[in-house]
This record gives sequence, C-alpha cells and structure tokens, in this order.
Amino acid sequence: MKNKYIFGGAIIVLFLSLMVYLFTQSNIQYEEDFAVVKANGKTVKATGQWVKEKNYEVNKEQRTFSFYLADAKGVEMKVLYNGSIPNNFESAVSVVVTGKYENGQFHARDILTKCPSKYEEQYEEVKTTTSVM
Amino acid sequence: MIGSIILTLALASSIIAMIMFYLSYRGYNNTLNIGRIAYHSMAMLVIVASTILWYALLNHQYEYKYVYSYSANSLSTGFLLASFWGGQEGSFMLWLLLTSIVGIILQSYSSKRGDLEPRVMAVFTLATSFLLVMVSPLFKNPFASIWAEPVFLNAKSINPAYFGMPFLQSFMFSDGSSGQNFVKMSAELVAVLKGAGISLNQFIIDGKGLNPQLLNFWMQIHPPILFIGFSMATVPFSFAIAALMKNDYKDWVKQSLPWVLAGSGILGLGIMLGGYWAYEMLGWGGYWAWDPVENSSLIPWLVGVASIHTMLVQKKSQSKGGPGKYIKTNLMLSMMTYILVLYSTFLTRSGVLGDASVHSFVDPGMLVYLFLVIFISSFILLGVGMIVYRWKTLSQEPPADESILSRELALFTAAIVLCASAVIVLVGTSAPIFGQAVDTFFYNEMHLPLAIIIGLLNGVSLLIKWKQSTTQELIKKSIISVAASILFTVILVIAGLTDLMMIILAFATSFSLLVNLEIAVKIIRGNLKMLGAYVSHIGIALFILGVIGSAFGSDEVDIDLIKNQPKEAFGYEMTFTGIEPIENNTKYAFHINLKEGDKNHTISPVMYISDFNNGLMREPAILSMLTRDVYLSPLGYEEGGDDGHNHGGSTVTLEKGGTTEFNDVKINFNEFLISGETMTAMQTGQDFEMGAALTAEKDGKKKEFKLKLISKQGNRELTSESFPDLNMKIELVNLQAGNIQVALSALDNSQPETTAPKQEVLSVTASIKPYIGLVWIGVLVMFLGFLVSVARRLKESLV
Repeated sequence: MKNKYIFGGAIIVLFLSLMVYLFTQSNIQYEEDFAVVKANGKTVKATGQWVKEKNYEVNKEQRTFSFYLADAKGVEMKVLYNGSIPNNFESAVSVVVTGKYENGQFHARDILTKCPSKYEEQYEEVKTTTSVM
Repeated sequence: MIGSIILTLALASSIIAMIMFYLSYRGYNNTLNIGRIAYHSMAMLVIVASTILWYALLNHQYEYKYVYSYSANSLSTGFLLASFWGGQEGSFMLWLLLTSIVGIILQSYSSKRGDLEPRVMAVFTLATSFLLVMVSPLFKNPFASIWAEPVFLNAKSINPAYFGMPFLQSFMFSDGSSGQNFVKMSAELVAVLKGAGISLNQFIIDGKGLNPQLLNFWMQIHPPILFIGFSMATVPFSFAIAALMKNDYKDWVKQSLPWVLAGSGILGLGIMLGGYWAYEMLGWGGYWAWDPVENSSLIPWLVGVASIHTMLVQKKSQSKGGPGKYIKTNLMLSMMTYILVLYSTFLTRSGVLGDASVHSFVDPGMLVYLFLVIFISSFILLGVGMIVYRWKTLSQEPPADESILSRELALFTAAIVLCASAVIVLVGTSAPIFGQAVDTFFYNEMHLPLAIIIGLLNGVSLLIKWKQSTTQELIKKSIISVAASILFTVILVIAGLTDLMMIILAFATSFSLLVNLEIAVKIIRGNLKMLGAYVSHIGIALFILGVIGSAFGSDEVDIDLIKNQPKEAFGYEMTFTGIEPIENNTKYAFHINLKEGDKNHTISPVMYISDFNNGLMREPAILSMLTRDVYLSPLGYEEGGDDGHNHGGSTVTLEKGGTTEFNDVKINFNEFLISGETMTAMQTGQDFEMGAALTAEKDGKKKEFKLKLISKQGNRELTSESFPDLNMKIELVNLQAGNIQVALSALDNSQPETTAPKQEVLSVTASIKPYIGLVWIGVLVMFLGFLVSVARRLKESLV
C-alpha cells in the first residue's frame, strides 16, 4: 500500500507542478482588440478580418507574407509572416494570427484561416447586399 | 420526411428497449424478449435511415439541406458515400449507426454470459437513446429540408431553365464583394415553386460540394474507423455500470477486457489514420499538430489503454479468490473512457473551439450546446452516482500492498503515466473554453519525461514477475538489453542526436523494444496467443523511435526550382520538369524529378484553385523510402514566357483580387462594384451600370480607379482609363461573373521595352524526414498486437 502511494504520489506532485509551470509559460491569450495587442507586446492570438482593399504582399526574396488585419472596431495592423500564403487565405471569413506586436507590425509565427465552414452554411452574411457604386 | 419519421420510431424503440431491459434486470420475466425485439428494430430502423441518407446523397436529392451542403454532382461515388460524414449531422448519424451495430454484437455477446444482458443492454440503450435524440428533428437532423430555415443558395446550383421566371426575381440577391448571385430558399419560395409545378430536385441541380481538403482517400476511411472506436467505448461503460448494478465485481473485468482491447486498438488506428491524412494532404509537413480535434480523440484512447493495464492486475489478482485489486480504479477508468468520448464530441461540436482549430466549427446553436451538456452530465451523474451508491462494498477491497519490483506496481504506474498524459492533453485542449490557448511546446515538453518513463516501464515490467522479483534477478535478466540499448544510443549520439532528454528517451525506448523483442521471440517458439502485449509494446517502441527520428532529424529548406535547372538539396538533384493538368483539368501536377546517384524518382505536388472556396489549394508530394521520406510542399508558381505578363497591347483576364503587370506598373483588381439595384435593373431590362475597382501601382505610388460597364437602352458601353504619367491605357473589355478582362496598351504607341521571357519557377518547401515510416509501422504493429490480445481475452471471457 505504502509503495503505491509513495510512487504514485511523487509522480503526481512532480507532474502537476511541471504542468502548472509549463502551462503558465506556454499560455497564450485570445485578443480581439488590436489596441490592446499593440499596447502590451505579449504573444497573443489575435483574431480579425483581412483588409481585402489593402491586398497582401508576398516578398519572394525574404520569403515573407504580409497583409493588414482589422478588428471589429476597425483598428488595423500590419501582419508579417515568415512563410507562404496559407491555403484558403483569400476566402477566409476571419484570420487568427499567433505572435507578437513589435516595431510597428505584428510578427506572426502562425496563421489560422477560418473558412466558411465545413460544418455550417454561412451565406447569411449575404443578406446585406452591399451597394458600393 | 420519411427519414425523420424512421429516426423518431427508432428513438421510441430504443426507449422501449431500455425500459424492458431494465425491467428484466429488476426481475420481470417476460420483458427480456420484448427488449431484444425493440433493440433489433431500433438497429434496423437506424440502418434503414442511414441507407436513405446514402440514397439521397447518391441520387443528388438536394431538397435535403445536408445533401446540398456536403455533396455535389461532380463527386465520385466513393466521395458521395463519404460525404455521409462530411458534416455534423451526418457524423452523429454515423456514430449512431456504428453504435447500433456494435449493440447487436454486444447483445449476442452478453446473452451468452450469465445474467449480464439486461443490465448491460439497459445502459447501452441509454446511450443510443441520447444519440437518437441528437439526430432527431429537434437537433442535428440530417433529413432537414433545405428550406426549413431560410438559406442563400449560390445561383450556380439553381437550374438555369428557371432563371427567366418572373417570380424568382424577388428571391434573387447579389453579393457585391464577390460578384456572386444567390437565391433565397425559404418556405415562401417552396410554395411558389409548388404552385408552378416545379419540384425542389428539379430546381436545385447541384450542391455546394465537399471541402477540398476532405477529398482524399483517407477521408473515406479515417472517420468511420474513428467512430467505430468511439462507439465501442460505450461498451466498457455499460459493463462497469452493469457490475455496479449487480454489486458483483469479479466477472465484469474479463468480460469487458476484449471490448476495451478491440475498441482501443481500432480507435488508435483511426487516430493515426487522421495523422496520416494530415501528413499526406494538409501539407503541414507533420502528422500531429496537437490540434484540438486530434487531441480530443487521443484523450479517451489514453484512458482506455490505461484501463487495460489495471484491469489486467485485477484479473490476475483474482487467482487468490475474490474480485481482485483496483476495482474502483477499473470502474472509474472504464467509465471515463466513454465520458471523455462524449467530452471530445462536446469540444469539437459545441463551437467552443471556434478559434483554436484548423477545423472550422460554427456554433451549432444554444439548444445543441445545452443538449450536449445534458448528454455528458447524465453519464457522469450515472457513473458517479452508482459509485457513491456502492461505495460501502467498493471500499471493502483489501489493501493492495505491492513491492516495488512487482509487475502489479509496474502496470499500475503505467496506467498513471497514461492518465497523466491524458490530463495534459485534456488541460491543453480545454484551455480555449476559458479563452486561453497553449503553445504546442506545452504538450511536447510535458510528454518527453512521460515517454521516457513509458519506455523504461515498458521494458522493466516485463522482466519482473507478478508479486515479487529480486534485484539480482532483474539485473541478470536485463543486462543484455541494457548493454545493447546503450550501444544503440551511442550510435545515435555519434549520428548527431544532441538533446539530453532525447538521448535518454532514445535509450529508454530502445531498451523497451529489445526486451519486448527478446520475449516475443521466446513466445513465438512457445505459446503464440500470449504474444499480443509484446507485439503492441514493440509497436509503441517503434512508434516513439519514429517520432524521435522524424521530429529531431528532420530538416527543411525553401527552394525555387527554375524549370529544367537542377538544384541540390539533401543530396538530391531536384529538377522541376513541367506541369500536367490532372483530374479533368481541375488540378495541376508539378512534376519534380529527384535524382540520387543514378536513381531517378518523379514526385508531383499539386496545386489548384478550388471552386468550393475560391482559394488556392496545395497538396504535398512525398517520396517514401525505407529510412526516410522526402517531402515536397508547394509554395507557389510563376508562369514564364508569353502569358500576358510584361508585354504591351495585351488582353488580360483578372480574377477578383488578381494582379497583373504592365511596363512595371502593377495592376490590381480589387473588387466588383455591383449593387442589389443593379441586379434588379439588369433582370428587368432597365438601364444600369456596374464596374470594377482597380489599383495601379508603380514605385510605391498607388492610384485607384474604376472601370465601368454602362447599359443604356440596351446599348453597352465600356469605359477606359488613361495614365499619362505611367504611359498606360487600360480598357475594360468584358465583365462577367468572377472575373474581368482588360486591354492594356502604351499611350505613346511605342513598343514596351522587351524584357527577357520570364522564367518558369516553382517554389517548394523541401524537407527530409528520417524514419517517419516507423511512426506508421509502429501504429500498425501496435494494432496487430491489440488484435492478438483480443483473441486471447475473448476465449478467457467465457470461462
């Protein structure tokens, strides 16, 4: 009985403390307010929409991909990513970038594109037919 | 309609079966047969409903919302069958179908083992009832009509023969930003169509299609296998509750064990097939990304495998008489396995992971969310309630005192380590519920020590005997394996493995591999049916070695391959030899020749624009060899030569968002300018104008301008724009759905400076993945081991 508890107990304590430590180390907050993203300079997951009007740029020499992302309030920031355009980027409903805001731009190390839905219809957006003329 | 009725009848049968089985358990005499009949009718009804759904998919009955949303005319029969589980409703349906079939086997199995059947089946039918409520018209019904809720259908999927119908105009909408037209499908439109004598299947002639990333061979088999594993997880839960109902904990272990083994083996295989799909299709370059969807199916697997270990101890310790050790642990782990399957469903289907996963999940609505919560809570309450209810008997378990060098303790520790791994993945994966996320290094760092412990345990536990071993015995037995493992690890270090933890892991893993191999060889000469555990553990050791090799030995480089000009990477001469349209010209294969010494291989990454999402899709190509894979993931392609770039007086077709260049001026087509009024005006023959917004850019200076198509009294006029300072005139030639054509010319009529024809360049990320094959081989070997064990434990379950 004792052996079981000493063995198990030691592993559990060690393990839990390691987990809590690593969790705090690797913890990333979601942030939807770009004003906050720009201000705190921490690694965050920022969710926004690609500013289509400003298009995107692919720099072949430096292998970077950059574009503008806007949050719900319309605050924009430039996102720089070392890599190529993710699949589905053009048709993404929203984009989640993981990284940090430094020197006037957001350095993303990961881009996640949320696409109109594997699982659900999303044409409701179309309801508001836009008149741009 | 008929599908929903059948599912409702099935729900009624399931509830009747549950009540009848429960009454039989309570001692009623005539109810067992009614329960059996009710269960089999339910299973039959579910099979019929599934067949109807498949029939609707194969026959393109787009009147069903599900068929419209996840299939299309262009899909091959295989993918049409697979679109059954392309969406949420269908995947619940698949889960239900497989659970029903598992239940048929379980009913027959339990009826041959004492008084087991009524108890086990009463719990099992509770699970099928919940699933049936899930697919009922209240929640995720795959038979919902397309117009049940107003929905916008792309005009492309409507029969053009009806476009001229005046009544349709009030249902037409246009999306200014994409230039696409939509038809609002609602009850009103259905009524109008009915009045005109048009059936929905005549009116809607094509579906939205399946997400191109799902159009892969593995997609056709990965989900069903995974769901068989999920369905089988219901069984140990039922056995555990059944044991608690009877308050007898002796026989359930051996009766449940074959199911846990088979279920874990199949679930493990299903998970890894998903990993293979990611590797082959998504071009992540890896097979495991700690994505929440992958994680959520891994958690129940880990707990299920943990339960196997402690169940073995209980079974073994029964030889002394009594129910044996670890009863509470086994009951709880068995129940947790299923509860975690439900939790996994909750995580992936409730929308809580919205921003966390590459899989996109849209909130299924508050009702479904609540129902999922009720579903899980019911099973948790049932499990916890029964344990509390029987606590008195359960705590009579004699205290287990294991010596440190006993196989019992080793097995128990293994279960703890597996549960620890499950907790790590659970914590990380659940973080998004609280608006947090963890970096993947959280999982990696946490698992490294666990993997080392698993390796060492995996070896040591087999060398020590049940009950007690002496230290000398252990040293004597392990000396050869230890020496050989040290030798192997030294070789790895010389080969370039530098990370200390990885070196320890490599040692631990090779140790467990060698010990298991040694014993397996002995067994092959003796009693073959004992082989299962050793084969599984050889599998896991091979798997971990594959992970070490592919994770730490891999190397990656981005290269530009100019057509027919070889480039050197990883000891290969890579040459881009050309493009070939494949699959009816819908995709493009980029042939790359890999030359190593005098051996030549050609592999072809694929890129294409998907109709489904108008996005550029890329598929990697893999050259698999015994010791490594060469993995080529396409990045982009530049057409060369005479294709409309960089020369004067040409007509260029631009898609929305597209770019072209003319005399160093970059021209970008930003968006269509089409309003709702334009659409109406167009259809009614009134005057209208529409256009395109473009940008011209040179040396960082941008100019925005518009080109228009103006229609006055039936005459079309197309506008043009001149830029004297850029020496460029741009004329609109045509404007149609999806793209525009513009003519570009120089204003001074001079020929533009002739530039050398552009070269054809394919950019790829090339990577080398040593020993990644061991990952797949390891899992397959592990699966094989599970099968052998199932065969052995199945025989024992009858005794």
